[in-house]
Amino acid sequence: MEPASLATDTHVHRSVYTDPAIFELEMARIFGRAWIYLAHDSEIERAGAYVTRHIGTTGVIVTRDRDGSARAIVNRCTHRGATLCAFDRGEAPHGHQCPYHGWLFAPDGSLKMVPNRQNYDGVLDLAEHGARPVRLEFYRGFLFGTLHDAAAPLAEFLGPMASSIDDLVDRSPTGRLTCIPHVLRHHYRGNWKMTFENLNDTIHPGFAHSASVVSAKAVADDIGGGQSLAPTVGMMLANGKPIRFFQDLDMMVAPPGHSYIGGHMGARYTPDTEDRYTQDLISFHGPEKAAAVLGTDRHLTLLYPSSTWHARYQTVRIVRPVRHDLTEVIGYVFRLEGAPEETFRNAIEYVNGANSAASPVISDDLELYERLLAGNRYEDRGWIPMLRGLREDREQGNGWTRTPSTSEAFIRNQFQAWRHYMAAA
Amino acid sequence: MHPLERLVHREARLLDARDYPAWIDLFTPDCHYWVPVSPDMTTALDGPSHFNDDRQLMQARTHRLLNPRAFGAEPPPRTAHIVSGVEIVSENPEDAVALSTQIMLEWRRRTGFEDDQRLFGGQVQHRFRRVSDEWRIAVKRIDLLNAESSMNAILAPF
Repeated sequence: MEPASLATDTHVHRSVYTDPAIFELEMARIFGRAWIYLAHDSEIERAGAYVTRHIGTTGVIVTRDRDGSARAIVNRCTHRGATLCAFDRGEAPHGHQCPYHGWLFAPDGSLKMVPNRQNYDGVLDLAEHGARPVRLEFYRGFLFGTLHDAAAPLAEFLGPMASSIDDLVDRSPTGRLTCIPHVLRHHYRGNWKMTFENLNDTIHPGFAHSASVVSAKAVADDIGGGQSLAPTVGMMLANGKPIRFFQDLDMMVAPPGHSYIGGHMGARYTPDTEDRYTQDLISFHGPEKAAAVLGTDRHLTLLYPSSTWHARYQTVRIVRPVRHDLTEVIGYVFRLEGAPEETFRNAIEYVNGANSAASPVISDDLELYERLLAGNRYEDRGWIPMLRGLREDREQGNGWTRTPSTSEAFIRNQFQAWRHYMAAA
Repeated sequence: MHPLERLVHREARLLDARDYPAWIDLFTPDCHYWVPVSPDMTTALDGPSHFNDDRQLMQARTHRLLNPRAFGAEPPPRTAHIVSGVEIVSENPEDAVALSTQIMLEWRRRTGFEDDQRLFGGQVQHRFRRVSDEWRIAVKRIDLLNAESSMNAILAPF
């Protein structure tokens, strides 16, 4: 069967989650062609600073070059194929040297030095043995890479969803963000798409996270009215909102596979912080834009196929496919330089709740992803319906659709992109 | 046995017995239960954490563990803590600090194969404070050996 025929406008075949051959094809055709979020400017500030990341299952090294530009190369020596760098981050002012036979690569991938050069006299052309460079583009300090040299520009890939990155950057009253080097990782034995199909699903929390709601209520009752709820306990409670609330909330979907839904966590700063922060933003942006920034409330933005963004809580997550049945999700939290400390405290609280494997909310999701993998391996029905909200779209714009947040429109939109990527040979 | 060393052992035993209300009663009202993502973190505001709990969150988390609708905790996980090398490194009339090395063996019913049982371990720091003439735990910090690693669902507290 042609891989693209495994997803229709309304149904998807369960083998897209369980078939290792499909996964291999996804790595080549989706992760090999899309723009993948790699790193933030602040992570590679000084010349020589590097971080290692992945594009699909391919490791890459992102380095600040001496001329100030960002470079990325495939993390593989062109001699025997060993990975060049084993660390998550560090400083490599002289480039990356293979630990096996000492071949030395510059940040842009060019092969600078091969030890015992006389052995290669007249037989090895250094210029032909550079490490593979990755095409890069920044959007407002966020660095994306693609292995597809002919990919359309990043701005076209982001489309209207670029506004969610604007939302994050514009929240800084200095225009500067810092990515915190400590990161929070979880993994599950399931397919990468399950995270993308779960995060903007507003129907599952009332069921999947019901135990958290019950326990948060028990704690709220226990402490009575005299004491305020801890933010994470509030987050657990928020999953108990009635379906009507989510039905009224909007979801926006846009190609290729992107979506976001409206904010619904009732995020507030304490009055003192609110006042100071508002003043800070007015000084930087002027009153009109400051009001627009503070008036924006989006929950998660999903940039298919590899990152999720929460501007209000300064959190970006990378979804990393490892195998068809193994996925890692890496959480990065940002400091808004110059903003009151409370904005950062809230962000930390959020990333812990949203990305710790020990989070009462996430541990439910991780269990369900693994059950999805188990159930979809059974020889039973082949096709999974994605029909929820099929006839409920609210507005069609130029390159986007507005629909209720309860709709599976975001999943249908993901599979539309999936089909498109998978069809082209 | 030193009374603070006894308290470290008692805390582990209450966790293994899943007697969570009694476990939480060992802590001060303003306690901090913390599992950072790196041993280099000095405060919970240096970055994210696996656990960064106040008393309310400890209550909500453990209350949930005993709920049959808590997926991944069907049935609630069983644990066995092995507490070793307890050293009281400071002791004053009102506060004290103990270090220990701990291993937690954990069993969750999952696919029925070897992944059902996991091993966690690392260095544990207890900071105690005297509250109405009794020692209570004000801070429990667990530095897992694999703090930076990617974790699968963690249900039982360490």
